[in-house]
Amino acid sequence: MLMKTRIASLIDEREGRFRVDRAVYSDPDIFEAEMAEFFEGGWVFLAHESQLKNAGDYFATRIGRQPVFLIRKKDGSLGGYINACAHRGATLVPYEHGRANALTCRFHGWVFNLDGRCIKIKNEELGEYDTADTKSRFGLTPVAKLESYRGFVFGSLRAEVPPLTDWLVGTLPWIDLMVDQSPQGLEVVRGSSTYMVRGNWKLQAENGVDGYHVSTVHRVFAATVANREAKTAVDGIRKTEAGRMLGNVNSGAYDFGNGHMAIWAQRTEPSTHPLWPQKARLEREFPAERLEWMLNRGRNLYLFPNVFLMDNPSSQIRTLHAISPDLCEVTVRAIAPVGEAPEARAARLRKFEDFYLTTGMATSDDLAALEATHAGAHGSAARWNEFARGANSVRRGAEDTDGGKIGSVPQAMTPSWDHEALYHGFYRFWKDRLLQGGAG
Amino acid sequence: MTSASMLANTPAALRDAVQDLLFREANFLDDKQWQAWLALYAEDAVFWMPAWASEYETTNDPELELNLIYLKGHASIEDRVFRVETGDSFASTPMDRTTHLVSNVVVGGVHGINVTARANWMVHSYGLHGGMTRGGTYQYILRQQPEGLKIAQKKIVMIDDKLVGAVDFFHV
Repeated sequence: MLMKTRIASLIDEREGRFRVDRAVYSDPDIFEAEMAEFFEGGWVFLAHESQLKNAGDYFATRIGRQPVFLIRKKDGSLGGYINACAHRGATLVPYEHGRANALTCRFHGWVFNLDGRCIKIKNEELGEYDTADTKSRFGLTPVAKLESYRGFVFGSLRAEVPPLTDWLVGTLPWIDLMVDQSPQGLEVVRGSSTYMVRGNWKLQAENGVDGYHVSTVHRVFAATVANREAKTAVDGIRKTEAGRMLGNVNSGAYDFGNGHMAIWAQRTEPSTHPLWPQKARLEREFPAERLEWMLNRGRNLYLFPNVFLMDNPSSQIRTLHAISPDLCEVTVRAIAPVGEAPEARAARLRKFEDFYLTTGMATSDDLAALEATHAGAHGSAARWNEFARGANSVRRGAEDTDGGKIGSVPQAMTPSWDHEALYHGFYRFWKDRLLQGGAG
Repeated sequence: MTSASMLANTPAALRDAVQDLLFREANFLDDKQWQAWLALYAEDAVFWMPAWASEYETTNDPELELNLIYLKGHASIEDRVFRVETGDSFASTPMDRTTHLVSNVVVGGVHGINVTARANWMVHSYGLHGGMTRGGTYQYILRQQPEGLKIAQKKIVMIDDKLVGAVDFFHV
């Protein structure tokens, strides 16, 4: 009860304000409640199907703090298991990615098939077991729920969750905008980067859909690109569009319910985007208003609690693993349309490297700002973060006629990515779920 | 055109010339003498740090796979210096202190005006995240130009992943 009273006090919506107590970023008890309720108690993103193409391909990751792996079974379906031998618990798969016909524990040599059944106990006949059917007692523990939406694989350790498409609600048309870019779907590009952020996971969630920082934090990126392009002739899809960083473009900020959020901004030079060479094909396949969203708007989509699907200068899956209140592990992967021409793929990856990496020229600055925010949040005598922008321009559901053109029905939206009302949905959902959940 | 072997009359003298270049590069980075550092690179130089693709392999096709840094041409390398010099980069203000240790320098082959070399590196840095050490290997292609030996290509493998803090051109 104490915890629930405390959680209710952390969001202040009195007198038309929206304030969040900065303790949400640092309190270890709140973090434990989030881990139980969100990361280990609901849907989380796990992988893209292209990371597991063939039978026996596996991918090791975590759900919350629990080690899991996904594996492509012989019938083509995906299995997901706790990554621990059913015998004495050693992790089963040694690499992040690999391929196996069967899973042999490196500790005592027990073997499991791709369906998770134990098929060999080393020296079983000498084991003096009290039953003849020992192996049937030792199956791997499956991830309770595993579902995909158009190649994006999600899992839940809690069985009592809504169907994945109900959980993702209004974000489905936004996912479709990415997947429909190639008739063959999307694929993860080889290579990834992982970085440790000294900041709470919710600051990652906020930052990835924060349009308001772009014209301050990334004006140096815009200036750098302008300097480059003044010196060297760059055109077409190799050119870098920086118009959105200087402000004054059409944009929007979305709250989809269930904690999901998104922002978009008009591309000032859509012809620089790697998808542009596909324009004629896309015009034949999709209505103009859908193409407007797909081709002319940069989009960042956040799916609560642990993944961003970004289709902005380049295209990205950004996965979060909350480690502690003060630490978040982030992995970024490039995702691209299958069958993309080499020159478009190269342009897409160069834009990714310029912007989206902690070794690059923009994400590095984002992370420094995020870590500064986290450090500042420890100044608990100054209690509140303010999320006031956009409060007077909120549109709900069908009032968003713009999103309605692609079948998107938000819980709320405001017509500027400089606005902060999208976070109201995020934090109300966060509070409500923690209040309904098992937090003591 | 002179050949790279004409830089030096003996293998030992060639090794000295290569080492001298690598050590000067490290010192320019640590001393933040960016213009002197840039002057070591040829006009068409490539500065490349691949990403990791598995526990053992980095990416190896810089055009069609993901890299941590892939800069083609002197102007692209200048971009990185421009950005940190503006004072407007959140990650670079204040800027970390660094010390580069470059060792195990092995001169590979001489191919016309080019000479290949490999070295190991370790960089200790200090900044907002405290003290930090990262390391890896360098593979160079150096080119004998009329004005002296220049860096035509530098491939950096950083063995670390799960990176803490920004990793810029001067951290590796």
